[in-house]
Amino acid sequence: MKKTYILILSLLTLGSCSEDFLDSEPITDLTDVNYYKTPQDAFDALVGVYDGMQRVSAEGIAVPLASEILSDDCYGGTGNSDGYGLQAIDEFDQSRSPSDTELFSGNWKAYYAAIYRCNVLINKLDQIDWGSDEDSRNSVESEVRFIRGYLYFEMVRLWGNIPLLTEPSIENLPQADPTEVYTVIAQDLLFAAENLPATTYNSVPNGRVTKWAAKSMLGRVYLYYTGYYGASDLVGIVSKADALGHLEDVISTSGHALVDDFSTLWPAASLENYAGEDNSEIVFSVKHTFTSDYDGNVDGNHWMVMFGMREFSHFPYGNGWGVTVNKKLWDAYGEDDTRAVATVIAVDEEEIPFNKIDSQREYTGYYNKKYTPMVDEDGNSTVLPGGTNFMIGQFQDYFVIRYSDVLLMAAELGSGNAQSYFDEVRQRAYQDNFTPLAVSQANILKERHLEFALEGVRYWDLLRQGVNVAASTISETTPVLSGGIPETKTISTSNIELTKGLQQIPNSQITLSNGVLQQNTGW
Amino acid sequence: MKKKYWNNSTMFLFCMTFLLCIIIPQTGYAQENTSVSGTVISASDGMGIPGVNVIIKGTHQGTTTDFDGNYQIEVGENTTLQFSYVGFITQDVEVAGNTQINISLKEDMDSLDEVIVVGYGVQKKALVTGANFQIKGEDLQKRSTTNALQALQGQSPGVQITSTSGQPGEGLNVVIRGMGSTGNNGPLYVVDGVLTGDISYLNNSDIGSITVLKDAASAAIYGSQAANGVVLVTTKGGKRGPAQITFDQYYGFQSVPKKIGVLNGREYATILNEAAVNSGKSPYFTNDEIDALGEGTNWIDEVFKDDAVTQNYSFGASGGSETSIYSTSLSYLSQEGIGGGKDLSNYERYNFRFNSEHKLYDDKITIGENLSFAYTNKNGIGVGDQYNNSLRGAFGASPLIPMFDDEGNFYDTTDSAQWIDGQSNPYAQMLYGNQNEGDNQKLLGNFYVEFEPIENLTFRTSLGIDYNAYNNHSFSPIYNLSVYSFSKYSSAYQSIGKNKSLVWDNLLTYEFDIKSDHHFETLLGTSSFKYDGTYMNGSNANLIFDDLKHAWLDNATNAEGSLISLSGGPDNENKRMSYFGRLNYNYKETYLLNTTFRADGSSQFHKDNRWGYFPSVSLGWVASNENFLIDSETINFFKLRASWGQVGNQNAGNYQYLAPITYSNVNYTFGPKEGVLTPGAYPSRLANPDLKWETSEQINIGFDARLLNNKLDVNFDLYNKKNKDWLIKAPIPATAGAEAPWINGGDITNKGVELALNYRNNIGDFNYSIGANASYNQNKVGNIPTEDGIIHGETNQLYDNSSEFYRAQEGFSLGYFWGLQTAGVFQTEGDVNNYTNSDQKIQPNASPGDLIYVDVNNDGLINELDKKMIGDPNPDYVFGISLSMDYKAFDFSALANGVAGNQIVQSYRNQSNAFGNYTTAILDRWHGAGSSNTTPRVTENNKNWTTFSDRYIQDGDFLRISNVTLGYDFAKLNKNIFASQVRLYVSALNLYTFTKYNGMDPEVGYGISTDDYNFSSGVDVGYYPRPRTLLVGLNVKF
Repeated sequence: MKKTYILILSLLTLGSCSEDFLDSEPITDLTDVNYYKTPQDAFDALVGVYDGMQRVSAEGIAVPLASEILSDDCYGGTGNSDGYGLQAIDEFDQSRSPSDTELFSGNWKAYYAAIYRCNVLINKLDQIDWGSDEDSRNSVESEVRFIRGYLYFEMVRLWGNIPLLTEPSIENLPQADPTEVYTVIAQDLLFAAENLPATTYNSVPNGRVTKWAAKSMLGRVYLYYTGYYGASDLVGIVSKADALGHLEDVISTSGHALVDDFSTLWPAASLENYAGEDNSEIVFSVKHTFTSDYDGNVDGNHWMVMFGMREFSHFPYGNGWGVTVNKKLWDAYGEDDTRAVATVIAVDEEEIPFNKIDSQREYTGYYNKKYTPMVDEDGNSTVLPGGTNFMIGQFQDYFVIRYSDVLLMAAELGSGNAQSYFDEVRQRAYQDNFTPLAVSQANILKERHLEFALEGVRYWDLLRQGVNVAASTISETTPVLSGGIPETKTISTSNIELTKGLQQIPNSQITLSNGVLQQNTGW
Repeated sequence: MKKKYWNNSTMFLFCMTFLLCIIIPQTGYAQENTSVSGTVISASDGMGIPGVNVIIKGTHQGTTTDFDGNYQIEVGENTTLQFSYVGFITQDVEVAGNTQINISLKEDMDSLDEVIVVGYGVQKKALVTGANFQIKGEDLQKRSTTNALQALQGQSPGVQITSTSGQPGEGLNVVIRGMGSTGNNGPLYVVDGVLTGDISYLNNSDIGSITVLKDAASAAIYGSQAANGVVLVTTKGGKRGPAQITFDQYYGFQSVPKKIGVLNGREYATILNEAAVNSGKSPYFTNDEIDALGEGTNWIDEVFKDDAVTQNYSFGASGGSETSIYSTSLSYLSQEGIGGGKDLSNYERYNFRFNSEHKLYDDKITIGENLSFAYTNKNGIGVGDQYNNSLRGAFGASPLIPMFDDEGNFYDTTDSAQWIDGQSNPYAQMLYGNQNEGDNQKLLGNFYVEFEPIENLTFRTSLGIDYNAYNNHSFSPIYNLSVYSFSKYSSAYQSIGKNKSLVWDNLLTYEFDIKSDHHFETLLGTSSFKYDGTYMNGSNANLIFDDLKHAWLDNATNAEGSLISLSGGPDNENKRMSYFGRLNYNYKETYLLNTTFRADGSSQFHKDNRWGYFPSVSLGWVASNENFLIDSETINFFKLRASWGQVGNQNAGNYQYLAPITYSNVNYTFGPKEGVLTPGAYPSRLANPDLKWETSEQINIGFDARLLNNKLDVNFDLYNKKNKDWLIKAPIPATAGAEAPWINGGDITNKGVELALNYRNNIGDFNYSIGANASYNQNKVGNIPTEDGIIHGETNQLYDNSSEFYRAQEGFSLGYFWGLQTAGVFQTEGDVNNYTNSDQKIQPNASPGDLIYVDVNNDGLINELDKKMIGDPNPDYVFGISLSMDYKAFDFSALANGVAGNQIVQSYRNQSNAFGNYTTAILDRWHGAGSSNTTPRVTENNKNWTTFSDRYIQDGDFLRISNVTLGYDFAKLNKNIFASQVRLYVSALNLYTFTKYNGMDPEVGYGISTDDYNFSSGVDVGYYPRPRTLLVGLNVKF
């Protein structure tokens, strides 16, 4: 009997001796406790940073798309019974769609998620055992810091006033002075420009950050910052001569060159002659491929579907949601400019039997050809087979900086070779019909419009000439067809000036911060 | 009788006692030595009852019946015999010279001597100090439902049970005393001592009883898992006595009780014309064209099928010798769906059960087991959100889409007229999108050993298992229905997985008296729990066969990586260790005290915060035992109860104290070749090592009374339940950059009143009872741990690009509807111009026929700041009514249940499309001054519907006649029949629903749920209604 009691007591007290019973660990996840140890960990985390960069344009209104709608080249367009969010952006007017207070919410979250990935990796670099491989460390740090700088640049251009984090934090942070943001951007890009190897662009796989990408981006940041904020240099870190020096370095050493035929840069304009995504002109691109799905894979170009013709496909142009192109852009090209037909889908001129005019808002007869979904001759989306569908499966890369931009920036910054750089770009555009034009600030900006139209560059080129210049260029009163019915489209100067060209900060983030974040004026 | 049994606290002891009674030699002696003998049988099943006390009234002399219900006693001539047995109505019979007295004892449906199942044991109902509710399996079985929870609807005050969908085999939402969290609000289910997540696998005929533990004091013995209440289920056990065989079956037909009206072709074209004109366009159709259109396709008729069969066959056997008892059953149930019919929506279940118990070594040791196995086949259509809802298409598809084209194929709208272009045949969509079948095997049960080394000291150890294995596959064909609905390749999806939880309980109970009036029952126990599992899913394309039957991965030929998906892994482990104790004390069964304490350790939390402690105390006073009431005819029983307790919740994500590095879906494509991905990683979530238990604290005051010569039962409860230190995934600023961890914070209070009344009486052979219960609950969020004090609801739920419409916010009830308030419709241009604030038009862009929005903050603008609470999905009142009668061989019952004070959001139409169909409610639209002040005009941009307003909201009050049954027992007619019961019955389920709600079914349990939040309800985006069922059934007992 005594034994029985002992048995019972021992059963009752069972487990008290084994607190270990409650220990458990995740089997399929690493944790930050056992990660960030080896160079391979660092590389994987670096790919995670690239993935983060790719994701910022997957939701909400991607910057390449928003930049076009904001500019004088595109209208919000889309479906005739859709909400008016894109019109609110297009017209800088919240009252066009008062309930759209989350226009850029997905992007805001994705940008900070990407910044977080950058900050975590930068902060963990010291705990990785690099051995004697300091070059790898510098290379990883350079690429991460380039991406962080590039992301912050896009954010600060779009929203103007943003919280700045250089290390992870869950605190409720107020918005930083833009100067502080640009300081981080300049330092990050400079670090990458100085520490990445000076090898030719094609010594690394296309898509990786290069020294040349960093130097080119510095030129772009310099021009935008000094222009928009009226400063004489980039936050005391990069002078005009420095910026020009970096660009000249790209021109002389990178190996980048223009492709011969402008149209071969764009798949829909060139078809079989497409120069490919790793052509010599691509200084930096955000890579996309067709493997997006609805289970969390975000690799596709999710914004390109917005530019497709509304619900209508016609080989080689695929159907999309119908952001329309301003007729003024089509008219801006001279007769001999080969860039016109490479840039714009002209419905009537190309005799496209478009019949969805009743579904299309703000129809103009023109669509974006540089970034358009495509179909094969049978009308099947080119994302198939393989891609999930035409909405998320578009795989065209976003060309962030092309070499022609480097040439024109160097010319604009007063290179001794300004005229020849300028001519090089124009010669390619006009081919045999090239006639020289004297290089000047005004001519360069005009040329930039024609060269980079519908690539997300134009709006910022306008804004860096001053909010008033942007406002007067973008504002217009013009007839469009919405659902087949004539309508007058109005973009007012005053709204652009009121908002200073900056965009809406997601209202949910403002309420979540309990007012620590401030909405931009006019939104 | 009462006295004799009051000191037993477990079933087993109780059984042993009466066994002892049989064995003890009869010591009664008679004065005049008349011998009376006979048999005592149960009126319900005609079986002899062993252990019935047969006492000479007014004395302590008596005997008990033997194993077969026989007795023999020596009595005087003018004595009266009293026959009593727990759970049966006591009968007095005058001997009056008879030597043979056979007695048929009637079951007392609500006896105070009844014992009820409580946590880790049983307790005499009269002595219970907590708030709980028990229903017997037989009562559940009478409801002829496929799911026991559905049979519980309207039975217990304070328990709100709502269908999430009428599809066969879909789950039910069970909310006990109001929602207490933003996450999972479902109770803990314990079947035969084994913790499980759901009881829908059980056949009603297998259930012995269900007890719902509502207050914290009752539930606290389950500590960590009990914050949302506990539902205890015991399966049927055996009874000592000869074998009894039962056979139960029903067969019935189901139909859609009420179909929603949608516009026919002519009406649709007329409305489209009107919308075009209102939008500045020319009409699309001429009058002649409209006349020629006819009815068009009624998609509602197409997607629903009537006469769907439901059937059930249960075969059971039970019995036992003096040392062994058993109960076993086999049943089959199937229910076809009214949505899409049997091929698309069907549920089929086989159940097998074997329970037995054996006494060994002079009853010192008892061993037993309860084993239930369920094999379920299920296929179904999408009943989720607007993108995963197969019926929704039928509400909004144009009636002008034909079902078939000229060749008899499903119509493809590509390159069709604009009002159907882009839309797709909803029936074909449903058919193509829901080619799936799956089965699930569940084994749940326990094995136990009980040992009683000395009297009243019992040790019990039991090992329970809940094992599940599942297997699903689905098929997606090649099809083209519209420009947006197509599949260019066929594909198969296959998933398989299994999981188990093991629970090992050790209990030591001891009961003793001090000075005979002080009775103590003590319990000490430990419990350890472990859950684990594995899963694997895959899909691939280009099948060599084109049907569901052949849709398996082996039949897929595709080798393109992007069309292949494969995943698999272990489920996150979950382990717990618990220690608990209970002390029950009473003084003369009049002053009652019950206190429990439980300590739980969980692997969910960081080592330092692993342990949670959950105490409870409850008190009772049986006033009817006091001198001033003991002889009262009016108040036969009155017990006042009060309780306080704390219970916990640990339902947070796993490993929140760690920051996981995620590789899943992280990659980038370097180089020019498409589809080549380089994998990457990042820390996806922030860590929170401080996470600890959520606590629910509850005070309960109530009474149980039996009045008017035991004819009227009254149960009343008042409670205040506060859930605090919520486990919540509170949103953090996006600048944090990573997924927020679960944190503790926030609280919610539920206050309520519950009342149940039951009156039973008879007029000769006509017995009747009437029951009614109702509960009132008020749900109020106290605090949300975010800067703005709000958990915002999901967007894109009511239609494409729709905005937030529900939220959890401080000071409001959970999941309330948030939107603009309207004040009618602008009738004239003048109305628009006169709707001003400081001479500024408040709605400058409005036209006559548009909705008038109330400028709540009076700033002259209509925007987000004007949105307010415009509805609440949580009912104020939940109630049930029951009526039952029997007269000789006839029996009749009727049940009704309902809710009041809640609202439903209804959204059937995709407002981003100008050409979607409307329900017939649109015929009441504004179409000229004075035509409507509630339904706005139609426009192509649907502008009056693209802002969430109270126009989306309707009251959800309803009263449903859920079951009406008429039965006739042939065995009562003819005593010589082969069986003790041969009852034939007809039932109507869901016979009629009284409601003002204009959807098909007002019982909308569906709400928006995500991985992190599950507090939304009452959202009708195209609801699968509950069927109306007419069935015929048979119960036979041998």
